[in-house]
Amino acid sequence: MAKSFKLDIVTPERLFYEGDVELVILRTTGGDEGFMANHSWACKLLDVGEIWIQEAGQKDFKIAAGSPGFVDVKGEVMVFVDAAEWQGDIDLSRAQNEKERAEAILNSRKGPVPSDDDDEEYKQAQVSLNKALNRMKVAKGGRRAKA
Amino acid sequence: MAGAGNIQDIKKRVRSITGIEHITNAMKLVSVAKLRRARGALDATRENFHFVTESIQDIFQSADEIPTKYLLTDKDAKPVAPCYVVITSNRGLAGSFNTNVLKKAEAEMRTAEGKPAIVAVGGKGRDYFRRRGYEILDEHVRPPESISFLETHDITRPIIDLYDEGKVDEITLVYTSFRSPIEQRVVAARLLPIEIEPDPEVPAAGKYVEYEPSVAEVFNYLVPKYAEIMIYQAIVESATCEHAARHMAMDNATTNARQMISDLNLYYNRARQDAITRQIIEVVSGAEALE
Repeated sequence: MAKSFKLDIVTPERLFYEGDVELVILRTTGGDEGFMANHSWACKLLDVGEIWIQEAGQKDFKIAAGSPGFVDVKGEVMVFVDAAEWQGDIDLSRAQNEKERAEAILNSRKGPVPSDDDDEEYKQAQVSLNKALNRMKVAKGGRRAKA
Repeated sequence: MAGAGNIQDIKKRVRSITGIEHITNAMKLVSVAKLRRARGALDATRENFHFVTESIQDIFQSADEIPTKYLLTDKDAKPVAPCYVVITSNRGLAGSFNTNVLKKAEAEMRTAEGKPAIVAVGGKGRDYFRRRGYEILDEHVRPPESISFLETHDITRPIIDLYDEGKVDEITLVYTSFRSPIEQRVVAARLLPIEIEPDPEVPAAGKYVEYEPSVAEVFNYLVPKYAEIMIYQAIVESATCEHAARHMAMDNATTNARQMISDLNLYYNRARQDAITRQIIEVVSGAEALE
């Protein structure tokens, strides 16, 4: 059994997760990254992506969909994300709706982007498309095959 | 005590004060319920965010490559373009709740050089500063209980942008801090620039910290986030204080109203007694005159 460490995942609404874990995989801006006990001190920004948690003594991972945020590693690991949802709590049809809405906005802008204001909406649509896709992926079991 | 007119007057006053008493008592009960809810939110927020604020403060302490624009470099330098985020309530009848915040904000502004700019959260603060001709950068007058974290982002972002552009060189948060239901204190906290006091227990730069994608990017994300969290917390806290203050004010008002009613009832009974006595005397003396 690998060494465990304390992990806190905080969102603006609540303390999303708190417990002893062996491994947590987060999507940093550079790509997926796993953190284990005795990781060197780090402070990294997170992107929209999957959160995989392996609790102490467990074989299976807990999977959640995460929004952008940051991770602070100092022996203990503190993750702050704007929003997070457990795999089981994801509303697939809502994610699907959001995906379609975002795609509609993106498709309506195939030509040159007219002005800066519209550009903002375009970017937002990209972000929400990203989030919706991520949620759908997590709901269907995540990208990795279960260990 | 005079005649029947007076009795009527007293009766009328008792009736109107009873009406007021009903209202203040109802407001008191409402504020009790709202206070309980707001306290729940406040406790959750405090519990939740102390991880984040502590973590961010730690990072500020241990990092030596923070972009200097966010740091207080010269302690004696006075801000040229200070900005104040003043958090008040939208509604009155909360005792001295708003007055205290506004007084504190004005006192803070007097110590600063340069023309203050104001971001008003809450209608009372906005009205006050607008009447006095201050420059109001931005206003947010939604009821404080319903401001979500995402909306705080909309409040914070423009201020940080102005700070980044150099149009504002100090951001101070003025709000009411909740100690207990009977004790609230107005606090003025500087959000930016951040003053770093080297912690003697933690040797500076003793540990190598990985930053990704880069130190500058991490801080460009963290500093606004920190400001956002602080402002959100202040709004939640201020809402709690508002209800606590209103509860106190309405409790006092109800007690006073009841006192007045009982005093007036006493006067009323005396006046009535006087009137009856006078009538008896009139009847008796009339009867004597007939004999």
